[in-house]
Amino acid sequence: MIQNMSREFRRLVFVWLIFLLVSIGLGSRIYYLQIVVGDQLQAKANKQQKFALKPYIPRRMIIDRDGSVLATDRVVYELYAHPRLFKQAPKTIATKLAAILEDYSKSELLNKFEKRGTGIPIKDRLTEELASEIKTIRSDGLELIKKYDRYYPHEGLAANVVGYVQKDQHQGKTGVEFTQQAKLTRQAEKFFPVQRTARGNILPAYLPKNTVTFDDKKLQLTIDAKLQRLAHKAVEKQVKEFNAKRGTVIVMDVHSGELLSLVNEPSYNPNQYYEYDLDRMKNWAVTDRFEPGSTFKPINVAIALEAGLITPETEFQDPGKIKIGGWTVRNHDYYSEGGHGKIDIAEILQVSSNVGIIKIMQRMSPQNYYDKLQELGIEKPVGIDLTGETPGYLKPEFQFTNYEIEPATTAFGQGFSLTPIKLAQLHSSLANGGKLVTPHVVKGLVSQNGELVNSNNDSQKRVFSSETAKKVVEMMQTVVSEGSGQTAQIPGYRLGGKTGTAQKAGLRGYYTNEKITSFVSIFPANNPRYVVLAVVDEPKKPLAFGSTVAAPIVKEVIQGLISIEEIPPSHPEELKNQETDES
Amino acid sequence: MTNLSFPKLSWHRLIAPWQKIDWFLLLLVSGAAFWGGLMIQSVQLTEGADDWVQHWVTGSIGIFVVLFLARLRYEHLLAWSWLVYIATNLSLLAVILVGITAKGAERWISIAGFNVQPSEFAKLGVIITLAALLHYRPAETLSSVFRALLLVAVPWALVFLQPDLGTSLVFIAIALGMLYWANANLGWLILLISPGVAAILFNVYLPAWLAWAALMFVIGWRTLPGNWLAGGGAIIVNFISGELGNLLWGLLEDYQKQRLILFLDPSKEPLGGGYHLIQSRIAIGAGQMWGRGLYEGTQTQLDFIPEQNTDFIFSAIGEELGFIGAFGLVVLFWLICLRLLMIALKAKDNFGSLLAIGVLCMIVFQALINMGMTIGLAPVTGLPLPWISSGRSAMLMNFMAIGLVESVANHQQRTTFFS
Repeated sequence: MIQNMSREFRRLVFVWLIFLLVSIGLGSRIYYLQIVVGDQLQAKANKQQKFALKPYIPRRMIIDRDGSVLATDRVVYELYAHPRLFKQAPKTIATKLAAILEDYSKSELLNKFEKRGTGIPIKDRLTEELASEIKTIRSDGLELIKKYDRYYPHEGLAANVVGYVQKDQHQGKTGVEFTQQAKLTRQAEKFFPVQRTARGNILPAYLPKNTVTFDDKKLQLTIDAKLQRLAHKAVEKQVKEFNAKRGTVIVMDVHSGELLSLVNEPSYNPNQYYEYDLDRMKNWAVTDRFEPGSTFKPINVAIALEAGLITPETEFQDPGKIKIGGWTVRNHDYYSEGGHGKIDIAEILQVSSNVGIIKIMQRMSPQNYYDKLQELGIEKPVGIDLTGETPGYLKPEFQFTNYEIEPATTAFGQGFSLTPIKLAQLHSSLANGGKLVTPHVVKGLVSQNGELVNSNNDSQKRVFSSETAKKVVEMMQTVVSEGSGQTAQIPGYRLGGKTGTAQKAGLRGYYTNEKITSFVSIFPANNPRYVVLAVVDEPKKPLAFGSTVAAPIVKEVIQGLISIEEIPPSHPEELKNQETDES
Repeated sequence: MTNLSFPKLSWHRLIAPWQKIDWFLLLLVSGAAFWGGLMIQSVQLTEGADDWVQHWVTGSIGIFVVLFLARLRYEHLLAWSWLVYIATNLSLLAVILVGITAKGAERWISIAGFNVQPSEFAKLGVIITLAALLHYRPAETLSSVFRALLLVAVPWALVFLQPDLGTSLVFIAIALGMLYWANANLGWLILLISPGVAAILFNVYLPAWLAWAALMFVIGWRTLPGNWLAGGGAIIVNFISGELGNLLWGLLEDYQKQRLILFLDPSKEPLGGGYHLIQSRIAIGAGQMWGRGLYEGTQTQLDFIPEQNTDFIFSAIGEELGFIGAFGLVVLFWLICLRLLMIALKAKDNFGSLLAIGVLCMIVFQALINMGMTIGLAPVTGLPLPWISSGRSAMLMNFMAIGLVESVANHQQRTTFFS
């Protein structure tokens, strides 16, 4: 029994010893892992679970002056095939896929699948709807990669203003997308580390609130999409009608310099910008110079009036032609009308008399004339917020002041060149009482509730007295009521205008048979708010003049302005007469 | 007064059938099952699964099973142990014949829509039959030791063939423990496992193998009949088993080999078999002293540890409840084992005592190997942590085992019984 007891006891001690060893072994290992190297292991855990989330933050929307969306980021998908991972037969997948993707046939897809085992790009820029349809195939080996893409809902409507964004690079290439790159790209205000699962998914539940915070301001333009559409239709019609090379329309608020419309025809679709020539993507109203011709005459009249060399009542003898420095300059209507006899300043503009305007400008010393043109900033950029602006061109000062013909040709708008936007700016200075304002298309960033956050404060520079400006506008009004601009008349309203039909200089400076026609209008004439300029380049049909090609465009645009901006008629009685006439 | 005393009487009457059962032990294992359910819930929080419900339901059933079994007289099993043995072997055979395959091994058979894992119940079957055998024939002689070994060899082989390496090792642990408790010579038992040790040492460090063989010679000489001849036999066996080890090694499936070695250096295969081990260690270490809080363990919640609700549940405890929780669980198992040992000591007969020891061995071994593998002390063998890991068969079997032991406790004599 004692022996048994001791044996029993030994057995118990042995078992206890094992228990003790096991407990100590486990406990010390746990202690080692959790207490001794716990910090390192926790750091390891954090390292594999947390990473800084740097998501792509969509570019700001671009909206027009009414809030209509001109450009926005949207989610698109890029479809890749990895045939090696296919669980269904390639044929089955191709059939299903071909039914969804209209531009691929089953056999084309099968050919693609045979290219290689993985990473075959099938289609880019799939919309969310198509992507979700593809997801219903539920096949391994089809991969949809989500990304953001710039989308222009109005397509080509304001393409030359808004510009486009390089695919996959999120970099604006032209237009506002380029010049306002800094304002359009949002910076995340904060980056938080987020947690991801072993499979690499980010767990929404573990996303701290406001992981990425950014404001939702939008970039507002001065452009009015409705007016832009209307203007585009008008210029498109005339360009087609006269088989012209191109056309442009500018609608400018004369006080603020805001451009309500800036149309180029032909335009391009920024959603598929890669299908167009680079040439199409420039905004030639800003980038290309032209010799304005007669549309510049009102500026010259203002210069002479400002210098006190003439009054509106001053009369000039117009025999229809004039000889200057060995050159004979004729009126455009010399062969049909001959001379105009004694005419005043307004009449000179009405008939667009070259002889008359030359005689006016001959009263001014070429040096003073040249200095004034420089003061008007002909050779300076207007400072518009668009890409590729070209300053105007004057003959060199020596040539201008020493050759009699130079100031004379400048008087009727030839021999120098400027961009359509510069011409619009100069006419705006007549319309707004003598100030040069900076034309621009960007209003600024607006918050969600439409509040303007920051805007452009543009400088204004007085170049004419308000009296001078007013007098010229009055004269221009007679051009529409009695002169060459009658095609632009709108019953009930008064507008100032001036036609222009200029010969184009060839590459070497010799004039060719190509023409560039234009019409500029100040509206409403009694209290000017807008300048509307239409330029149509190289109309190829006969009877293509500023009055026949460009004036109808301007008229249509102004009619649009009247209804969009709800401008009351200054002479409502005309509208009543018209109504009674019709009834 | 009579009104007041009535419920008292009723309470006594109610628990009368379980007067002597170990309530503390029942509380410990129920607590472990509750804890396990909590951890499974935490693990599956982000996965959307809800195995913790069935864990608790099975656990609750388990408590009733314990109470039911505790009322039965365990001695009756002595007469039926041969039937238990046959049923055990047949069910294991059924697994091989009609089993459901998972991860390269057949583990389950489907009974009435439930997937049952016979190898779990086989552990209990082996404990009962071995206890019965050793009850009649204590392992004091070599012949009775071999008889016992032969008895275990059949179910062991069936489990090994599934192949379920982990459970087959549990059988060995149970057999060795019960043999020792049945008075087998410790030297014999050491000699019994010596070829295995030799095989490992032969491949790891040759001088250690030589020293081991020498030690076995001494043990063989001292403990086996036949003096130095027996010692010579031991040394020969140990020499041979070096090469034999390689042979046996070749018999193992690839995934088993990988599991057995990788725990030594999981960084060899950080994305393959070592992934579990690395992530588990990181999780436990990240828990530090106080843990990251229940449901707050990032390794756990972000699914960095595969099979965490079953084999790797301990890593969730380590991460979310820290050193306090992890060591607390070690203490919990330590207490369970303590109670089992006390029941074994107080049992009225060898059968009861051996039953308790068999259950003890099973739980110690599984807990040790399971926790060991999550902290890098043991190879990955796929053994669940009793009462904590998700798994209905294991849960039910563990409670049945406790039920048997409680029956032993319930029907013990007043005086302590020693063999």
